[in-house]
Amino acid sequence: MEDVGLRHIQSIVRPTTADEAWRLRTADPETTRFLGGGIDLVLYTPETVTTLIDVSGLSRARVSAGRAGLAISAGMTLSAVLETPEIAAYVGGFLRDVLRQVASPLQRNVATIGGAAMRAHPWSDVVLALLVLDAEVEVFNGAARSVPAAEFYASRSQNVAPLVTGIRLPQRTPSTRGAFEKFVRTGFDVGLLNCACVVEVTKGVCSRVRVAVGGTPALARRLPDVEQVLEGRHLSSTTVGEVASLAARRVDARDDRRASESYRRKLTEVGVRRCLERLTGGGSEDAR
Amino acid sequence: MTSRKLTINGVRRTVDASPGDTLLEVLRREGYVGVKKGCGSGDCGACTVLLDGRAVNACLVLTAKAEGKVIVTIEGLAKGDALHPIQAAFLDEGAVQCGYCTPGMVLSAYDLLSRNPAPSEGEIREAISGNLCRCTGYVKQIRAIQAAAEQMRGGRNG
Repeated sequence: MEDVGLRHIQSIVRPTTADEAWRLRTADPETTRFLGGGIDLVLYTPETVTTLIDVSGLSRARVSAGRAGLAISAGMTLSAVLETPEIAAYVGGFLRDVLRQVASPLQRNVATIGGAAMRAHPWSDVVLALLVLDAEVEVFNGAARSVPAAEFYASRSQNVAPLVTGIRLPQRTPSTRGAFEKFVRTGFDVGLLNCACVVEVTKGVCSRVRVAVGGTPALARRLPDVEQVLEGRHLSSTTVGEVASLAARRVDARDDRRASESYRRKLTEVGVRRCLERLTGGGSEDAR
Repeated sequence: MTSRKLTINGVRRTVDASPGDTLLEVLRREGYVGVKKGCGSGDCGACTVLLDGRAVNACLVLTAKAEGKVIVTIEGLAKGDALHPIQAAFLDEGAVQCGYCTPGMVLSAYDLLSRNPAPSEGEIREAISGNLCRCTGYVKQIRAIQAAAEQMRGGRNG
């Protein structure tokens, strides 16, 4: 049988604390990687890597609810996260619905939320969701801290990415709604583009508006100009059209082998419009 | 090579595996050839096994990550000569053509039905979305899983 494993891996170590894991990782950044679910490592690990640091035993896999919101431990698989009642109830099931569209069930049963947040592929649906939910990423890089997702992904130029130990989702009001749209050629192919909107709607008026687009082909980013236009306004069809059109102009779309810049702008317009229509209760699966 | 203790189809075994070996490589090496190698990148689902009851791509799981967990391959589903109701339904409904995707499809269905005894057609389609079949149009597999679900709800499954 043709090799499918990682011939260059010589050892797998299992630290018992985040501090120990971090020291192992930083002692030799070229030859080590953190191991969570392991999917990305099997597929993409460079041959210079010889030691995997298994961090899956550092915390108990669970979602815990508190006054500040939800805390998800990094080692939970995507399937376990989306099957949690707290996640099903959070922002009308927005995060559950996003996770159900990530890869295949077979991969979601292995991939961890921490791994997805840390690896942050440009087409990542998880990163997109964390941005529009105002999530915080709990990290350890010598000390534990919690970083807003937007800040975490904007500062990812450091040599050794911090160890992600958890995700925090803020408490949201019952009037918060979210919608997600993803354009893919097949069910779990890498997406051509994805977008998401989370909005608090009180008496028809929008507040705490979050709009983000990913796979442009760059990593997901929020569109502050677009969010500002929607803030304080009713979600009328005119507004939806105006906002979707602005998003298409503002998105940092570029060409790559999957799609052209112009096509991605069109996808952005259609995706944002569909998301906003879904928030108003309009639009339908049939319209897709 | 390192000795690793695995529980495969209810039997505790010690196998030799390099740190970078995937579960697919080790299982096939140990004779569980119902675990098929297809793409080797998690796209086709031919290598599906159950890990602690959940269907996973064995080609994407490092063997070291399976230690301490319960592995079930297609060889472990039948009880002696009695096929599992999902396997029997695949035969009855003619859901098997070349057979290469069948073990993975059956195990994905097992994962689904163990959590959701009465899935909708949409839920079945989602559950097997990681298992590619190049012979058929999935219609008979879906019908087989529906038939198996009905039979298992009737309590005829062990």
